[in-house]
Amino acid sequence: MTEKNDATRLDAEAVETLERVHPKLPRVAAGVEAGTVSRREFLRTATLLGLSAGAAYAMAGRLTGEPFAPAARAQSGSPAKGGTLRVSMNIKEISDPATVDWSEKGNELRHVIEPLVRISSDNVAVPHLAESWSASEDLRTWTFKLRQGVKWSNGDDFGADDVVANFVRWMDPAVGSSNYGRFSALRTSNDDGSPMLENGVVKIDDHTVEFNLRVPFLALPESMGDYPCLIAHRSFQGGNWVENPIGTGPFELVELTVGSRARYRRRESGWWGGEVFLDGIDYVDHGDDPAAPLAALASGQVDMLYRLNVEQVPAARAIPTLVLYQADTAQTGVARMKVDQAPFDDIRVRQAIQSCIDHERLLALAYQNLGTPGEDHHVSPVHPEYAAIAKPTQDYDRARALLAEAGYGNGLQIQIDCVAQPTWEPNTSQALVEMLRPAGIDLAVNIMPGGTYWDRWTTTPFGFTSWTHRPLGTQVLSLAYRSGVPWNESSYSNPDFDALLDEAEATLDVEERRAIMEELQRMLQADAVIVQPYWRSIATASSRAVQGYAHHPAEEHHFEQVWLSQG
Amino acid sequence: MLVFLGKRLAFMALTMLAVSILLFLLLEVNGDAVAVKVLGPYTTQEQRALWLTANGYDRPLHVRYAEWLGDILRGDFGQSIRFRVPVSEVLWPRLANTAILGAVTFGVMIPLALVLGVLAGMREGSRLDRSISVGSIVTTSIPEFASAVLVTFLFVFWLGWLPGTSSMNDGFAWRELVLPVTVLVLYGFGYIARMTRASMAEVMQTPYIRTAILKGLPYRQVILRHALRNALIAPFTVIMLQINWLLSGVIVVEFFFAYKGFGALLLEASLNQDIYLIQACAMVAVFVAVATQTIADIGYTYLNPRIRFA
Repeated sequence: MTEKNDATRLDAEAVETLERVHPKLPRVAAGVEAGTVSRREFLRTATLLGLSAGAAYAMAGRLTGEPFAPAARAQSGSPAKGGTLRVSMNIKEISDPATVDWSEKGNELRHVIEPLVRISSDNVAVPHLAESWSASEDLRTWTFKLRQGVKWSNGDDFGADDVVANFVRWMDPAVGSSNYGRFSALRTSNDDGSPMLENGVVKIDDHTVEFNLRVPFLALPESMGDYPCLIAHRSFQGGNWVENPIGTGPFELVELTVGSRARYRRRESGWWGGEVFLDGIDYVDHGDDPAAPLAALASGQVDMLYRLNVEQVPAARAIPTLVLYQADTAQTGVARMKVDQAPFDDIRVRQAIQSCIDHERLLALAYQNLGTPGEDHHVSPVHPEYAAIAKPTQDYDRARALLAEAGYGNGLQIQIDCVAQPTWEPNTSQALVEMLRPAGIDLAVNIMPGGTYWDRWTTTPFGFTSWTHRPLGTQVLSLAYRSGVPWNESSYSNPDFDALLDEAEATLDVEERRAIMEELQRMLQADAVIVQPYWRSIATASSRAVQGYAHHPAEEHHFEQVWLSQG
Repeated sequence: MLVFLGKRLAFMALTMLAVSILLFLLLEVNGDAVAVKVLGPYTTQEQRALWLTANGYDRPLHVRYAEWLGDILRGDFGQSIRFRVPVSEVLWPRLANTAILGAVTFGVMIPLALVLGVLAGMREGSRLDRSISVGSIVTTSIPEFASAVLVTFLFVFWLGWLPGTSSMNDGFAWRELVLPVTVLVLYGFGYIARMTRASMAEVMQTPYIRTAILKGLPYRQVILRHALRNALIAPFTVIMLQINWLLSGVIVVEFFFAYKGFGALLLEASLNQDIYLIQACAMVAVFVAVATQTIADIGYTYLNPRIRFA
């Protein structure tokens, strides 16, 4: 066969493989060679459309002319079996995997139950319980091939029934899962309370599931990597999951006591993914004082921390027995304004507040410069479709003029709610106070315990909310700024924005999607919904014994490849 | 004596009753708020209404109070929202942990404080008295959260001698008790030592001590037989009050060292608005306060015959 290779570094066979996976892939591959598509974006798109991770990495290496380099992992020597990894992390209740709303809860679950798709620590969607997937050209029909030979810990075979049962539960508005908003493309409409499409999730055979979407949805596989998308056994229909923790994962749950401890041991019947090195995992809850976990690590009571706060990084560096890990992320915090509550229902007030902000200064003041300044539109430079648009600048004259126009010429008194821990959140809020003052805005900071804040995060008029990392720029926009979704904390509602977001989510080509994203970013910026100070890098630390761990941008714990060096 | 005891116990019961009414009024009158805390913030008004009816919140206040009090008397404090188990399942082990911490702290602190106090008070103004006084004032004036950081820096990060947290995950470990007890003793012993010293110094100036010395009794006998018993009356009350202090004072220490005790539980309960757990913790705290006061009164009477027969 004579072929006209778009990508000259790939042979015919490879191009054919790509074409078979998705007709658009050869063009994406050509983009990598031409330098218009990044290696990471190729990996992401290719695996997302069903190319196996191994093949994708190999091709990316040929396309860029660089040999394949696995994700950086801290490791020395060859893996040794045995030992229990002790990790300091808050133990929260996890009675229903579908309603999990914290990364810690995801970690408590993911050693036992697993997702169809996993987001790797270098931000690429990798098949997990799903073996591969393919999409129709209009991105509305997706076929997921499930991994064969996966056994539940109770002896059952894992299969399509499990996947269907989970989706049916998630898409039931009464369950209250955030997946209801995440997979809104599976519903009859975007309206609150709308049910799942009748043929939304269809079992084709025991190991094939077909998804039929109302609208095209690019990030379907990646959305399945989010922490509430861990697949529970088909028999789980509510109640307390901990009482009968059936799983497909490498470990089984031995004990879980909220606020205290969670213990796991390696599954005796073996794991489908191969050898697991650790005998077990032992999570210890050291409470809400961030100094306690570090003291525990320093004195060898645990091997690893869930998280190292930014202000602890210098102290941890000074301890020679520790290893530090860092990850650049799309994690951030936003000071979001409730656009339907006074005084924030007046866009001039919101714009005035935005005009007071010097983002770089905020990053320096509140986060030791460990990150990237924000641009008030919640799309991060680490997202593939990020468009570089004009950055917001500090302009007090404009702020004062806007306030006078809105009737607050004599000053404006407002209050922002924020959590007490982690400290970067109140620190940032305090820095905002100073920044708003010159424009005549008197901001009070109402610092409250986490439990209290999360009771009212969607209702308070002005609140500082932290958002975790998600692999695609469209994902948070969809979760937090689409009209009427449960996590839309600002009550922002803009039909044009929703329509454009639908379009972005239906566009496979990065360049095309970036053009739409540019519009979305501008829209969100102009509508002045949030002040987004910065994107933060995250860190953690372990003892020198821990090998093979890579810090995950969403703080997910993947421990099946982790091992402990002896002595 | 029996009448006195009866009176004290009746007074104790009355105090607890009054507190329970206050607690009930503060936390339970607004049924809606309880429903929000139990069911979570994302529930609908209908769900809350259903829950309120199902749990009898539409009955008259005094009926609800009587039932609530009855449940508490039987040890049923309800279901913890945070821990998802009955409150009593969390409460008693945590209380036992704090009792251990408290007992060890007292076991170190009281003898230390009494010995130092007596030594200082025996010869008021001596060099020994001065050094003990200055030492105890300094340690008492450093708050727990500061001394906790200090001893952790010294013994955990710098010297590496002791474990940094005290969660007792692998069973009870004396090593893990050292730092929390040190912090509590450092803060608490000075006060008792100072009280003992003052009391001792006062006794040493009384005519009967002077008589005892002048009639040629060995000094040791004067101190042990005549001075001590009289000098210990005031410190005894202070020590009983320290039990109260300990119950709330441990919050800082338990939080800092991740010790799973009553203080940390109280903090967790309030941070998470775990309403039934807060109620239970408050009742326990009040009980301890009232009980120690009663014991102090009784003990005081025993030590001081003048009160006994008054």
